[in-house]
Amino acid sequence: MISLKLEVNGQAMATEVAPATLLIDLLRGPLALTGTHAGCDTAQCGACTVLINGDAVKSCSLLAVQAQGCRITTVEGLAQGDTLHPLQQAFMDCHGLQCGFCTPGMLMTAACLLAKTPQPSEAQIQHALEGNLCRCTGYVNIVAAVKQAAGVMTGATAGATAGASA
Amino acid sequence: MTAPLNPALDVGRFGSGHAVRRIEDPVLITGRGQFTDDVTLPGQTHLVFLRSPYAHARIVGIDTAAALALPGVLAVYTGADLVAAGVKAMPGPQAFPRPNGQPGTSAPRHALAPDRVRFVGEAVAAVVASSITEAAAAAEAVWVDYEELPAVVDAFAAMRPGAPQLCDDAPDNIAAAMRHGDAAATEAAFAAAAHTVSVDVCNQRLAPSPIEPRSVSAFVNADDDRLVVRLSSQMPTAVRSGLVDALPGLTVADVRVLVGDVGGGFGMKTGIYPEDIVVAFAARQLKRPVKWRADRIEEFLAAVHGRDVTSRAEMALDAQGRALALRVRGFANVGGYATGTGVAIQCLIGPWVSTSIYDIPVIDVHVTAVMTNTTPTGAYRGAGRPEAIYLTERLMDAAARKLGLDPAELRRRNMIRPEQMPYKNPMGQLYDSGNFEQILDQGLALADWHGFAARRAASQARGLLRGRGIATFLEWTGGNVMEERVTVNVTADGFVELGSATQAMGQGIATSYAQLAVDVFGVPIDRIRVLQGDTDRANGFGSAGSRSLFTGGSAVDVASRRTIDEAKALAGEALEAPATDIEYREGRFNVAGTDLGIGLFELAARQPQARIHVDSTSSAGGPTWPNGCHICEVELDPATGAVTVVAYASVNDIGRVVSPTIVRGQVEGGAVQGIGQALCERVAYDAETGQLQSASFMDYAMPNAEGFLGFKTVFDTSVPCKTNPLGVKGVGELGTIGATPAVVNAVIDALDHAGLGAAAEAIQMPVTAERVWRALSLKQFDASPYRAA
Repeated sequence: MISLKLEVNGQAMATEVAPATLLIDLLRGPLALTGTHAGCDTAQCGACTVLINGDAVKSCSLLAVQAQGCRITTVEGLAQGDTLHPLQQAFMDCHGLQCGFCTPGMLMTAACLLAKTPQPSEAQIQHALEGNLCRCTGYVNIVAAVKQAAGVMTGATAGATAGASA
Repeated sequence: MTAPLNPALDVGRFGSGHAVRRIEDPVLITGRGQFTDDVTLPGQTHLVFLRSPYAHARIVGIDTAAALALPGVLAVYTGADLVAAGVKAMPGPQAFPRPNGQPGTSAPRHALAPDRVRFVGEAVAAVVASSITEAAAAAEAVWVDYEELPAVVDAFAAMRPGAPQLCDDAPDNIAAAMRHGDAAATEAAFAAAAHTVSVDVCNQRLAPSPIEPRSVSAFVNADDDRLVVRLSSQMPTAVRSGLVDALPGLTVADVRVLVGDVGGGFGMKTGIYPEDIVVAFAARQLKRPVKWRADRIEEFLAAVHGRDVTSRAEMALDAQGRALALRVRGFANVGGYATGTGVAIQCLIGPWVSTSIYDIPVIDVHVTAVMTNTTPTGAYRGAGRPEAIYLTERLMDAAARKLGLDPAELRRRNMIRPEQMPYKNPMGQLYDSGNFEQILDQGLALADWHGFAARRAASQARGLLRGRGIATFLEWTGGNVMEERVTVNVTADGFVELGSATQAMGQGIATSYAQLAVDVFGVPIDRIRVLQGDTDRANGFGSAGSRSLFTGGSAVDVASRRTIDEAKALAGEALEAPATDIEYREGRFNVAGTDLGIGLFELAARQPQARIHVDSTSSAGGPTWPNGCHICEVELDPATGAVTVVAYASVNDIGRVVSPTIVRGQVEGGAVQGIGQALCERVAYDAETGQLQSASFMDYAMPNAEGFLGFKTVFDTSVPCKTNPLGVKGVGELGTIGATPAVVNAVIDALDHAGLGAAAEAIQMPVTAERVWRALSLKQFDASPYRAA
C-alpha cells in the first residue's frame, strides 16, 4: 500500500491505496464520491472526468498514486454550499441532461473549459466536449448550457438563456 | 401538521403544456444520483464473467480449481453447475412460426453456456470474490478447453446448405419467418404498374450504448429470506418474472426487484439478461450481496444489438405516382440465440408500419429471422419501425426520381387523408388520427424547402455538394399492453405520491407525471413525488415502445381524478356536508357557497392511516401513431467524402404536449441517434473468425459533440390521439425513426445531383466519408448486400 495525500473538493486528506488502484476507484470506493461515473473504462466516454489541479482528466485511466499531492474536484465539489455552479444551473435550465449519467463528466470538462476560456465560441465548446459522449441529448442543449453558463460567469446579459422558462 | 401551500404561487405554471425544469435534475447535476453501481452493501462481493473468445465452439471441459484457490475467491460457477442446480434456460421464439409451420426455434439460451458457445462474449463462467480485482484475476485462472467450430456471421451465408448450424432443429438456421399481406394481389399490381422501383438495403447492426453499462446487485434479505435484485432496467416486473422462471424454488412473492436511476435504456435494458440470473443465483448460493458491473467491452459483446436486417424493397406505382403495392423481402440476423423480442421486432412490429402514412392498398412483406454466430439482437430505439420506415422512405425518393417528381409532391399524392381516419392499414393496424399533409406543409415551410436551390448554389460556390432529404412517416407505439395501475397516496406531511410500474430511464417521465398531477390536484409541483422501480409497490409492463406517457400518464390522470372524487366524500364527512356539495380547488375542499373548508393534506392527516390512498387501474384504448415530417440538408466534401448535416427541421405530431422541454429533447436526442446510424455507427464482425471488431467507443463511432448546428423542431398539437384520455402520442422513438432516412435521402440527393443519378441509390449505411468519396471519385459502390436466398 502507498500513502497518498490529496485535496479532494477542498478537503485535505491522507489515505492508503494499492499501487494498481485507479483514481476513479479511490473516488467511488473509499471516498464514496459516486457522482463520478465509469462508462467505458478506456478513457473514451468521459463520464469519469474530474479536475486535477484544474485540468479535466479522465479518472478511469489514471492511477490514484499519480494524483499524489494534487487538488481534485469532482462533481460533488462543484456547488458552493447550496449555491449551484452556473454550469449546473444552466444544464437544468437548458435541459442539458436526460439520464444524467454522462452529466458529471460533462460538467467537469465544461468547468475546465470555462476556467481557461471564459467566453468560448460554439465551436470551441463542441471541440472541448468532443471526448465526452452523451447518448441522450444529442449535445445541442449541452452546448447551449455551457454557453449560458459562460454568459453568467462573465457577467454577460442573460438574454441568451435557452430552454425551460420555469 | 400539514405543509402550508403558498397562496401566491401560480401552480398552474407547472401543469401540463408548460416548460418546467425537470424534477429529476437537482440530484443528477450534483452527483447524488443512485445508479445501481453507486450502491455498495455491507459484505459486498463482486462477480466477474469469463466470456468465450470464440464465435462458435464446443466446451470440452472447464477446470476451476486454480481459480478457486486464489485469494478472496468465494465461488466459481460454470454452466454445468447452473444446470445441475436446476437453473432453467431462457425462452426462445416459440410464439412465431418457422417456414415449415413448426414453432420458432433457437438453441436453448443458458445463463452460462454449459456445453457450446455461439458468439464471442457469451458467458461461460462466473467468479465471485471479495473484490473486483480478485474476481478478475481468478477469472483469468479458469481454464476452459474449447473445441473451435466453424462460425458464420452473415445471415445469407448462414442459410446456405453446409453452413455451420447453430441449432439442432434448424438445419437452415432459420429461427422463424412471417409473410404478411396478399402475395398474389401484390404480384398482379406489380405486373400492371406503370412504374416500379426497388432498393437493396442493409439496415446495419447497431450497439444501443447507453452510457451507463448494465449493473446488477443481488442479496437475500436475512429477515424474510427474500431475494432482492437491484439493477438498471426498463422493465422491473419482467425481470422478476424472468428470475422466477429461471431459478429453482422461487415464486414471485420471494423476489423484489428494485431499480434506481437508470443511465439510459433505449430498449436495450428491457427484459431479463443471462447475467441477471447468474448474479441472483450467486447471491442465493452465497447468502452474501453480489454485484456485477459490465465493462464497456462486455456491453458491446453481450448486451443486445439492434437492427441488422437486409432487404430488397419494391414499390409499384401508377403513371401519376400513386403507390399500388409494396413488396419487401427481408432477412434479419438475430444472432446466436433467437428471442421472441428479437424475432417480433423484425418479423412483426416493423411490418406493422411498412405502409406508413401512405394509402398503399396491398403488400407482400416477408421477413425471415436467421441465426448466426453473433450477439443476439433485441430492442433498440424504434425496434423494427426504423427499419421499415427506412425502406418506405427510400422507395418514395426512388420513385420520385424515376417519375421526375418533387419527393414532397410524390409523398403528398400518396398520403392517407384525414377523412380516411380511422384508417386500417394492410397489416390490420388501425390509425386513430393523423393529418399528414398538414404536417408535410409545415415541414416544407419550416425547412424552406423551395428555397433550397439558392442554398445549394451557395454550397457549390464553397466547393461543397449540398443535398436535401425528406422523411414523412408515422410509427406505432405501445408494447401492446394498454393497462396501467397507479397508486396515489396523499400524505399528512403534504405530498401526493404517485406509484407506477412504468420506469424512468432518463426520459423525464417523472416530471411529466408530476405535471399531470398538478393539473388535477392544483398543488405546487414540489408537492408531487413519483415512485417507480419497486416490484413490491407496482407491477406492469414497464417502459418500452414509447408507451409510458400514453398508458402510464393517462393512468396518472385517471387515478388523480379518482383520488379527488374519493377525497370529496371524505371531506364531506369531515365538514358534515353531502359530498355533492364539496368543491375542490388548489389543495382545498370547500362546501359550496360557504367559507367552510379543509385542506387536502389536512384531510389526509385526519384519516385512520393518516393518508388518502387510491389504487387505480385504467387502460388506454389502443396504440398511438405519432408522425412527422423530417427534412435534412447535408454538405458533402468531394475532396474527402465527409458528410456534414447542415440543417435539420422537423414538424412532429405527438398529439397533446405535456412537457414541451422534454419532448423536444426526445425528438432531437433521438434524431442524433438516427443520424448516428445514417452516418457513422456500425457493429462489425470478422467474417472468418466471428470476432467483434467494434468493441470499444474508439471502434464503434457514436456521434459526439462536434458538428451539429442545432435543430428546428416544431410540434403540431392540433391532432390529439383519440384512444387515450390525455390525447397524447408516444414521442420517445420518433426522432430516431425519421432522421435516418432523411439524412440518407439527402446524401443520395447530393450524389444524384453530382451526376451519379439513380446509381447513387446503391450507397449503404453508414454513409461514411470513404463510401461517399468512392462514389464521387470512382463511381464505385458496394455490391448489393441483398443476396436472394
